Amino acid sequence: MHELSVALTLLDGVSEAALRDGIERVTAVHVRIGALSGIARDALLFSWDMASAESIAAGSELRIEDVPVAVFCERCKRERSPAPGTGLLCPVCGAASPTIVRGRELQIVAMEVPA
Amino acid sequence: MKLRVVEIQANIMRKNDALAAALRARFAKSGTLVVNLLSSPGSGKTTLLEETLRRLAGRYRIGALVGDQATENDALRLARSGAPVRQITTAAECRLDADMIGKALAEWNPGPLDALFIENVGNLICPAEYDLGEDLRAVLFSVTEGEDKPLKYPLAFNTSQLALITKIDIAQAVGFDRQAAERSLRAVHPSIEIVELSARNGQGMDTWLELLARRIESKSLAAV
Ligand SMILES: Nc1nc2c(ncn2[C@@H]2O[C@H](COP(=O)(O)OP(=O)(O)O)[C@@H](O)[C@H]2O)c(=O)[nH]1
Ligand SMILES: [Mg+2]
Ligand SMILES: [Zn+2]
Repeated sequence: MHELSVALTLLDGVSEAALRDGIERVTAVHVRIGALSGIARDALLFSWDMASAESIAAGSELRIEDVPVAVFCERCKRERSPAPGTGLLCPVCGAASPTIVRGRELQIVAMEVPA
Repeated sequence: MKLRVVEIQANIMRKNDALAAALRARFAKSGTLVVNLLSSPGSGKTTLLEETLRRLAGRYRIGALVGDQATENDALRLARSGAPVRQITTAAECRLDADMIGKALAEWNPGPLDALFIENVGNLICPAEYDLGEDLRAVLFSVTEGEDKPLKYPLAFNTSQLALITKIDIAQAVGFDRQAAERSLRAVHPSIEIVELSARNGQGMDTWLELLARRIESKSLAAV
């Protein structure tokens, strides 16, 4: 539900990096979004188009890499991927795992610019 | 058109996290316990706060910041307790962030506080991402909301240290299943502290107030 503010923050990050490198146009932006972040993919794409409309990233493509949830199971001593809707339970031994290893990401990874 | 890829590697929450760290440092200095209340709309945040402010009045200096997308009703309800209260109207934003807290504090002069309660916007998704510099994040869910609520919103429950099961006065009438609720809470946060209470009939309020008093005392001791 906060996709627009996420998109605006993304744009800040992109603009900052572009300014630093003297880049004047951005054609694509790569981001990683964790499944626990509550970000809806379509809403973010839509918000990105709005947020970037009058910027150096106008018309750019937002490429979203979805990051599934992973926890560290203390009992198995291994990283595990809980099934959606089961909380953060280890799918193998059933132990609850408080330690989220992945799935909270809200990261800008890279941008594509004219060479 | 030839393209090249420029790596960025930046966390979108970085700015909020930095502002939250600054708030945390400031509240450590002033010895103010900060409590961030999260829940769906209607779980009973304002009612619990009204009762909490009323019962702690005279004992501690307490203030409240209330986030709401549109109205000031909650702030007006809370102000009746006599405690300093300030509304943050978030408009389109579905959560409070550290910047909003910082700005509200700059315009508000509640005087020295032993505790500051923040009623977040009613929503279990967005507020979970935003650190407000709080010491205690408490998530409320009422007996009418379904025992599997934590499974639907794992991050809110995983990042809270305390779960308050509210409206326990009507638990029986609505067939609330205590074991099932605890099971789903533990599935997302095995060590979460759980308090069942009712702001309506007072059940469990002492446990909640004692827990707060303990935390308020140790925070102010640490500040000296
Ligand atoms: N039965 C009962 N109702 C409650 C209790 N706490 C709040 N309510 C009711 O639940 C509704 C929503 O409460 P409110 O405090 O405004 O929820 P908020 O949206 O989380 O701030 C109101 O009609 C309250 O009167 C309680 O402990 N027991
Ligand atoms: Mg309220
Ligand atoms: Zn396991």
